Amino acid sequence: MVVGDIATGTDVVVIGGGPAGYTAAIRAAQHDLDVTLIEKGTYGGTCLNHGCIPSKALLHATDIAQQATDAEQFGVSFDEPEFDLPTMIDWKNDVVGQLTGGVEKLCKANGVNLMEGRAEFADENTVRVIHEGAGQGGETVEFEHAIVATGSRPIEVPGFEFDGELVLSSRGALALETIPDELLVVGAGYIGMELSTVFARLGTDVTVVEMLDDVLPAYEDDISRVVKGRAESLGIEFNFGEAASEWTEDGDGIVVTTETEDGETTEYAADKTLVAVGREPVTDTMNLEAAGLSTDENGFLQTDEQLRTDIDGIFAVGDVAGEPMLAHEGMHAGEIAADVIAGEPAAFDNRAVPAAVFTEPEIATVGLTEREATDDGFEPIVGKMPMQASGRALTMEESDGFVRIVADEESGFVLGGQIVGPEASEMIAEVALAVEMGATLEDLTSTIHTHPTLSEAVMEAAANALGEAIHTLNR
Amino acid sequence: MTYEFELPDVGEGVAEGEIVSWLVEVGDAVTEDQPVAEVETDKAVVDVPSPVDGSVAEIRADAGEMVPVGDVIIVFAEDGEETATDEEPSDAPDSTGEPASDTDDERVFAPPSARRLARELDVSIEAVEGTGPSGRITTADVRAHAETDESGSEPTQAIESVETDSVPATSASREITLAAPATRKLAAEEGVELNAVPTDKTQEGEAFVTPAQVQQYAQSQQAAQAADVAAIGAPSGREERIPYRGVRRTIGQQMEASKFTAPHVTHHDEVDVTQLVERRSTLAEVADEQGVSLTYMPFVMKAIVEGLKEFPALNATLDEDAEEIILKHYYNIGIAVATDAGLMVPVVDGVDRKGLLQLSSEMNELIEKARERSIAREEMQGGTFTITNFGAIGGEHATPIINHPESAILGLGEIKEKPRVVDGEVVVRSVMGLSLSIDHRTIDGATAAQFANTVKRYLETPELLLL
Ligand SMILES: Cc1cc2nc3c(=O)[nH]c(=O)nc-3n(C[C@H](O)[C@H](O)[C@H](O)COP(=O)(O)OP(=O)(O)OC[C@H]3O[C@@H](n4cnc5c(N)ncnc54)[C@H](O)[C@@H]3O)c2cc1C
Repeated sequence: MVVGDIATGTDVVVIGGGPAGYTAAIRAAQHDLDVTLIEKGTYGGTCLNHGCIPSKALLHATDIAQQATDAEQFGVSFDEPEFDLPTMIDWKNDVVGQLTGGVEKLCKANGVNLMEGRAEFADENTVRVIHEGAGQGGETVEFEHAIVATGSRPIEVPGFEFDGELVLSSRGALALETIPDELLVVGAGYIGMELSTVFARLGTDVTVVEMLDDVLPAYEDDISRVVKGRAESLGIEFNFGEAASEWTEDGDGIVVTTETEDGETTEYAADKTLVAVGREPVTDTMNLEAAGLSTDENGFLQTDEQLRTDIDGIFAVGDVAGEPMLAHEGMHAGEIAADVIAGEPAAFDNRAVPAAVFTEPEIATVGLTEREATDDGFEPIVGKMPMQASGRALTMEESDGFVRIVADEESGFVLGGQIVGPEASEMIAEVALAVEMGATLEDLTSTIHTHPTLSEAVMEAAANALGEAIHTLNR
Repeated sequence: MTYEFELPDVGEGVAEGEIVSWLVEVGDAVTEDQPVAEVETDKAVVDVPSPVDGSVAEIRADAGEMVPVGDVIIVFAEDGEETATDEEPSDAPDSTGEPASDTDDERVFAPPSARRLARELDVSIEAVEGTGPSGRITTADVRAHAETDESGSEPTQAIESVETDSVPATSASREITLAAPATRKLAAEEGVELNAVPTDKTQEGEAFVTPAQVQQYAQSQQAAQAADVAAIGAPSGREERIPYRGVRRTIGQQMEASKFTAPHVTHHDEVDVTQLVERRSTLAEVADEQGVSLTYMPFVMKAIVEGLKEFPALNATLDEDAEEIILKHYYNIGIAVATDAGLMVPVVDGVDRKGLLQLSSEMNELIEKARERSIAREEMQGGTFTITNFGAIGGEHATPIINHPESAILGLGEIKEKPRVVDGEVVVRSVMGLSLSIDHRTIDGATAAQFANTVKRYLETPELLLL
């Protein structure tokens, strides 16, 4: 302990107030543990401040404009939409403010001690809290258990350090006050695609360069194809097999050079470039070594099923603890870690973590694809329901995409599902429940679904797998 | 796919087992449930059955080796599968105590609630048989599995299959056997299970056994046992080393723990059981008619319960960690039984709630099972007080060792006719020695003597038991 520090003790110290951290803190406090949550930035972490929430707010706002334009075909027409970006950003900030304020209130109401500052391990039972700014002392917190939830940050491509002006991270892009005329997006992953969608709808000329040979390379071809088609109809241009190698300033704008594997180069001129090539865990803010912690080859903290690291009493949850780096995964892990600390027989034994991409249309998946199921030794059967055959989708003029259900042929157990289409992110919840519960195709088909809704497509896809679909031809 | 078989946890308190012998060799074909090894644990000798159809790929422990529970002892190659090194689910919990992680190739279909319950009950979900649609595991399945696990049904099955070959004369195994009442009585006296007596006679389509057959079977069994004893006891050389393991060692450790933990005091007394002897012989006839052989033991058990009710300190356990004495308001009485394998203590539950006949038949059954080693673990657990009937072999007094963590044990001496002074005259009376050992930490000598007095009063005047 440093002279002058104030020392306190706590049952559980949580480092990082993102979704994983605040959830862990609240749950631990619900178990009547003495909990201290330390956050160096803003409560809510990446997700609430610079990730899920702001991106979804802007996607919604711009979707309204898009729909207004599309409404013409069914006889509703508006003037060209006008965008007041500062107002839109203010509104988004309000939404964020409501949520982060809510997190803070919930923490306090549950009796979580909140500390602002950066937490650093002093040893395996102590953290020091460093307050930014001169003259501020430090505080020492001794803990029985620590939950590390320091999250992730965008990966920087060498030479493309984020400057908030010309080279933007997703965070910078979500805070722009003016609409760029031309935007170069490096990376066609989910963040790149979501933000491309936002700017394309705002009228920006968006060009996407991607090192691999497709958009959303993590998804199956027939899924990414649907999104790519719609993106192209929004005016987004794609260039595959190119990696950004360097950039130069050009007047107010930027010229980015990309390179193919064969060394062919291309130059792209734009007002700004958004680099969204992935995220990496944050492990350099808290002096890991002092606690004896170390990272794996991918930079993550490794944990077991109960979220324990190698060091006794220290847990890790959320993005810092590995893929999938998703807010809901972190929140669930946070709860489990707190339950384990409280002595409950909890474990992160989930069969599947759903994932959603809020593009146009949305993508949502959970569990195994047909291929993965085969690789895992199942003999899968697959059923598909095209949105074309969904009454509800047609009434919404949203008939791109499909629902696919993958199940084990012999037992009928639902192993996974892939949805591309309107409200896919909502529909996937039912499939996730089925996978987690060990529900069978028959369970899905025997459950009455409201008509006319999009969710009927889940039932129909399951029926199709059984060869019993009514609204599609069974294959 | 290979199947790594870990030495299963055959019940509470068993941490390791000795591989007595392997019944298979590498390369042997095995069928599911075929015994592959004999393992002696602290409590009994059990046959370990093969969990799969296939062949023996590897044997990882030598005969005679002590193996901790959870260690892989044998590897099977399952039929129709190429050898691979996938870990397979096993009954034994992970040695780290953490739930084993699921990989998708051993995926089990169960809702989160069932998986959580499994962790709570320390059940390996992979081992649970699902009764839901397509074999989905429900919370009820997990509970059922946990219960059978606890009651040690698997180990018990294994125990039951043990050493039937030590009964030389072919023994039958029937559900129903017809016999005259006299034959039944004879069988009871000889300790012979009627259903086991071989016969070729039938009546009304069912097997029928004669007294001669019972006699013959009883003799052949005794002869076999004598032969066994002779075989084991045949000494070679001037000294012999016999393993101090398994049941013998458990007994030893139990004795050691008791004697070193509880300061023993033994209170000796004598009780005049003349009336009891008379009562029992009249009641025994009635009991016989019902096929029950009534010994003195149930009377003693009843008398003890009366004593324990008056002096609960003797029906207690000292919880040192909690610094509390646990007084028990239930009366489960253990009966020390000498068996070939050593001392065993089957427990008769709820003695206060049962009649003499029921106590008799339950006790006889338990003792029988203990001698045959077919007794289930839980039938030897949960005792609150123990009786040791050393007098059955001979002797008037002893210094019994308390069956830790109980607090007292009563030793019964041989009932002998002795000259006693009654109303100023020397008469012949039936007298039994009592040796009561108590844990002096929690029980004072005076309490022990008072307890003995109560027990004596009920044994001297058994009618009091009717009140
Ligand atoms: C543009 C974008 C869109 C996204 N959209 C989605 C989506 O739609 N759905 C989804 O599930 N996920 C989405 N994500 C991912 C999601 O944001 C993350 O998975 C989630 O935020 C991870 O939560 P976390 O608690 O692990 O970490 P974070 O949210 O990153 O929180 C970590 C916190 O720890 C703090 N911290 C770090 N070090 C210290 C220290 N030493 N001391 C004190 N505090 C410290 C940080 O300041 C931060 O507040 C998106 C991300 C981005 C960037």
